[in-house]
Amino acid sequence: MAGKTGSALGWVVVGMIAAIAAALLLARPSAAAYTPMSATTLSTRALTEVVPDSIANAQQVRLGQYLVRAGDCASCHTREGGGFLSGGFGLNTPYGTIYSTNLTSDKDAGIGGWSADQFYAALHDGAAPGGGALYPAMPYPYTTRVTRADSDAILAFLKTVAPVNEHQPPNSLSFPFSVRPLVHGWNLLFFRSGEFAPTAGKSEIWNRGAYLVTGLGHCGACHTPKNSLSADKTRQALQGGTLDQWVAPDLTQNMRTGLGSWSVDDIVEYLKTGRNAHANAGGSMAEVVAYSTSILADADLRAIATYLKDQPPSPEVGASAPDAAMRRGAAVFSDACTSCHMEEGAGQPRFFPPLRGNAVAQQTDPTGVLHIILAGDRTAATAQRPSALSMPAFAWKLGDQQVADVATYVRNSWDNRAPPVTATQAKAVRKSLGLKKERLTEDSTDR
Amino acid sequence: MSDGEISRRKLLLGGAMVGAAVVTGAAVHDGELGMPSQTIKGALPWREGAADAPPIATGTDYRFFTAAEQAFIEPAIERLIPPDDTGPSAMQSNVHVFLDRQLAGPYGRGDHFFLGGPWPKGTPEQGYQSRFSPAQLYRAAIPAVESYAKSQHDGKSFRELAAPDQDAVLKALESGEAKLEAADGKGFFAMLLQNTLEGYFSDPIYGGNKDMAAWKMIGFPGAHYDYREWVGRHGERVPYPPVSIQGRPGWSES
Repeated sequence: MAGKTGSALGWVVVGMIAAIAAALLLARPSAAAYTPMSATTLSTRALTEVVPDSIANAQQVRLGQYLVRAGDCASCHTREGGGFLSGGFGLNTPYGTIYSTNLTSDKDAGIGGWSADQFYAALHDGAAPGGGALYPAMPYPYTTRVTRADSDAILAFLKTVAPVNEHQPPNSLSFPFSVRPLVHGWNLLFFRSGEFAPTAGKSEIWNRGAYLVTGLGHCGACHTPKNSLSADKTRQALQGGTLDQWVAPDLTQNMRTGLGSWSVDDIVEYLKTGRNAHANAGGSMAEVVAYSTSILADADLRAIATYLKDQPPSPEVGASAPDAAMRRGAAVFSDACTSCHMEEGAGQPRFFPPLRGNAVAQQTDPTGVLHIILAGDRTAATAQRPSALSMPAFAWKLGDQQVADVATYVRNSWDNRAPPVTATQAKAVRKSLGLKKERLTEDSTDR
Repeated sequence: MSDGEISRRKLLLGGAMVGAAVVTGAAVHDGELGMPSQTIKGALPWREGAADAPPIATGTDYRFFTAAEQAFIEPAIERLIPPDDTGPSAMQSNVHVFLDRQLAGPYGRGDHFFLGGPWPKGTPEQGYQSRFSPAQLYRAAIPAVESYAKSQHDGKSFRELAAPDQDAVLKALESGEAKLEAADGKGFFAMLLQNTLEGYFSDPIYGGNKDMAAWKMIGFPGAHYDYREWVGRHGERVPYPPVSIQGRPGWSES
């Protein structure tokens, strides 16, 4: 960037950085209180309902409906008990709660009055009609890659979604994150707009996968690590991220933490059914599978898998676990875990996930495995695998040291390897999950 | 005919009892009589972090038994399970704590029993037939047993008796030979023996079976609840040490 205009722009950027840095220094971490996951049944029939030929632009609407599945729009833009895509779902961010917008055809509360240009600007530039900026909780750094034709198709479908006249609640963000114009500075620093361009020399299926993974599918929104301002560390794309007390695992070819040991077929089966020989989809991924990948075309799942199988492995992390922790962990594991996961961690593939070679267990950040041990987890229910199997919570039964030890044991047995876990880490996750006080089922007796 | 007649008085009394049960009854839990049916739609109910965790007994103080009752219960259970070379006694295993916590809680209140009338004499096969909750039975029976003991043994209380005399009192209760003033002595003995065995062998979280000693004695591994990997391994000793619902020392030792 040479010349006068270049340096002027440079000063603007420096000013913005200074402003954001100052804002960050003033900011106090005030993460929204964690909302425990529960069995959700979103009204998503509209995702799979056959679009009748009687509609004028049926072809385009059908494409749009499919793309709304591919983008998993429903998971965030539909709340429990709310109308399909009517928004109002609270996203917990490190800066507070952001509520998703109403995407129904309602002209007042939804996007019924939006033009195709306005909608494309939102997806492509993160711009709201009237020039305001969307918060990057909306994954426009990904949807910017969506083609204009696909954007128009999505809007055409959304205009057929039953109108719901409901405005989302105001966001509860801490200062300075509540100052929306600061997003312009964030965009200058971290956002590069641009439609997807196929990579020459790669197959058509690879490029289709790249379009879905790095575009509408916004996999990296969770699976790419974030910097201190929640922007992607783009050089570590898909190497795994931590958000809202979950770890979105590494999706690179790392043999331990990533998809190195998964075949293309394994990935397709996981995305299609929520389970495969290696893992069950739990946590937030259960929703992604339920409302998106399980209702995508097999060819697209294969494309996604093909692209993911071509990601260079993330770096290996060395680890060694203390003997005493391993001994205690083995004792807890033998008594509390083996009825499903078996003594040698073999599990019951497709029912109870094997822990030998388990990627979630071996993530460098233990938040995910601690979350599952403390609070339990639930597998996605799909057409192919309709039973939403669940793992019980152990927070009431295991102390922080025991949770840490059994996590350390699982992370370092049967050729697994990952940094040991401390009681302090277990305690912190317990606190974040609101599990310091025993949480009882509604039909607990004898109390 | 008159036996089969429902008198007006009985009917009114029965109605009043049912009304009282509805008004004062403890909360009805899922799966119990009187719980309205539920319809589950969509997904099975599930909430992250929620557990049907059992209440864990704490402390070794008395919360139900009075001093007078303790004076009977302690020597009585010690005669039912005395200390010997095989294993600890009932008192050494904190069975008295188990009994105390059970009688102070829902079991003692008879929350899971139907205690309403009528109360005809049942057959032995019909099990516990009494208008008393277990706590009420202990409360009524213990002083009656003490009176019986005094009447048989020169005014000595149960605790003051030598072991053979204590055994004689307990045997008389068991056989029904001892007729108590205010309670069914045979029914009480059956309940006391049953509860003592339960306290001796049940999970330590309920207050008894201290240090899982009873489980160690009989080689029972406790709450280690899956042995599929051992089904085909004949003649081998299962190496698992006993474990309580709340864990075992191996979970925490350094």
